[in-house]
Amino acid sequence: MKIFDPHIHMTSRSTDDYEAMARAGILAIVEPAFWLGQPRTQVGSFVDYFNSIIGWERFRASQFGIRHFCTIGLNPKEANNPKLAAEVLALLPRFLAKDGVVAVGEIGFDDQTDEEEACLHRQIELAAEFKLPILIHTPHRDKKRGTIRTIDVVRRAGFPEERVLIDHNNEETLPIVLETKCWAGHTIYPNTKMDEHRMAALVKKYGTDRIIVNSAADWGISDPLKVPKTIAVMREQGIPDDQIQKIVWDNPVEFFAQSGRLNVADLEQRPAIDRTQKFETNSVLRGDQR
Amino acid sequence: MLTVVERVLTAALGTERWHGSQSSLLAAYATAPQHVGRDALALSPAELAELRAAAPGIGFERWTRDDAARALLLIAQRHNGRTGDAFVADALECFEQGDAREQQSWLRAVALWPEAKAFLPAAIDACRTNIIPVFEALACENPYPAAHFPDRNFNQMVLKAMFNSIELARIFGLAGRRNAELTRMARDYAAERTAAGRTVPADINAAIHDAS
Repeated sequence: MKIFDPHIHMTSRSTDDYEAMARAGILAIVEPAFWLGQPRTQVGSFVDYFNSIIGWERFRASQFGIRHFCTIGLNPKEANNPKLAAEVLALLPRFLAKDGVVAVGEIGFDDQTDEEEACLHRQIELAAEFKLPILIHTPHRDKKRGTIRTIDVVRRAGFPEERVLIDHNNEETLPIVLETKCWAGHTIYPNTKMDEHRMAALVKKYGTDRIIVNSAADWGISDPLKVPKTIAVMREQGIPDDQIQKIVWDNPVEFFAQSGRLNVADLEQRPAIDRTQKFETNSVLRGDQR
Repeated sequence: MLTVVERVLTAALGTERWHGSQSSLLAAYATAPQHVGRDALALSPAELAELRAAAPGIGFERWTRDDAARALLLIAQRHNGRTGDAFVADALECFEQGDAREQQSWLRAVALWPEAKAFLPAAIDACRTNIIPVFEALACENPYPAAHFPDRNFNQMVLKAMFNSIELARIFGLAGRRNAELTRMARDYAAERTAAGRTVPADINAAIHDAS
């Protein structure tokens, strides 16, 4: 089974995670730009962060045979700092132009403030300008309302729904998203959001069209192997392999291929690992291994 | 109010009052526990009653000695003529450059200041933290949100408390701030939890306006 984890924050994860992910069959991942668990206060912190996910992290993934793509955007939490938000929005174009950036994201609502809506709207415009799809974060709190409001903003902006992936869905929001042409992501978490068994039940109820699952593993309690673990539960529940393959590979590949920056044929081959390579003189190896 | 708070907190900290006057405010604010310790602030029932009367809603019974010392440091700034905008600037610097414990102390005391309104953006931002003790310092045993938060931010705070299994009884003034939107949000949250096969917080009705 080919596996694509379309939402995982690898800057917060270890090399043990990369090794386990490769062993479990994960071939490619998307790392959305997000916040770091506490708010940044300087625009320079964003420059360094964006550079790290388009550079060092992609290199690190390659050292474990995993293809790494990313999305660039101003997350909703930090959209609430108006001065910083304006500065970050101004530097997005130069990052959105880069190879390996396959969407604008993750963007959307957190507290559902006016500032968040303005930043969301502006970034939808940027996605149109750069011909990129968008990855939407739906809020933890007041999720159903936040999801409906997000769809409203997308529609008012006239952005094509088939280029929108709305993430972190649950039983309440999935039917709302499926009524649109947007894609529906599901984050499989140990305690919150969605779990493997509920996910299998949703697939049985709604089918596989535009359905995507991810681990969204980050610095919190999360598990980078949740996509393979969900595959195991879906199999146990009698969901056929071709349907599972659609959810964990075909769908995310089709969605992000809309960026024009995914080489689908390459993607299916695990990249050769060459650990003599270095990134700006840095290697993932320690001294005695060189 | 501040006169009473200053007198009682100073007495509770003990005879050797520490001024932190040898160093800058930021350094003194950070190093307070090295001078006064981190133990619970031992308040007599009479002292507690006096504080509660002076500053209703503030959970002094949960304060630590360093919380008290930090509040007294900011009061000392006021005695040095740093009031109004100057006080706001000084205090915000303590908050913005504080570690999680300093921010907790700062948030616990934020309702004390005559300039309290000016701290609204910082207080709203504090609610966005993922560090639950910092969130609790503002959301719980603290009259500030009920007094100053617009409905939208107040509602988000209540929902976040539920989300983090914090008892709603700890939110001061919740009953007086319930509103139709919060009621809708709480009901949606209950529906979402039920659909996910999870339990609904037992005290959710505390957030619902017309719950019997």
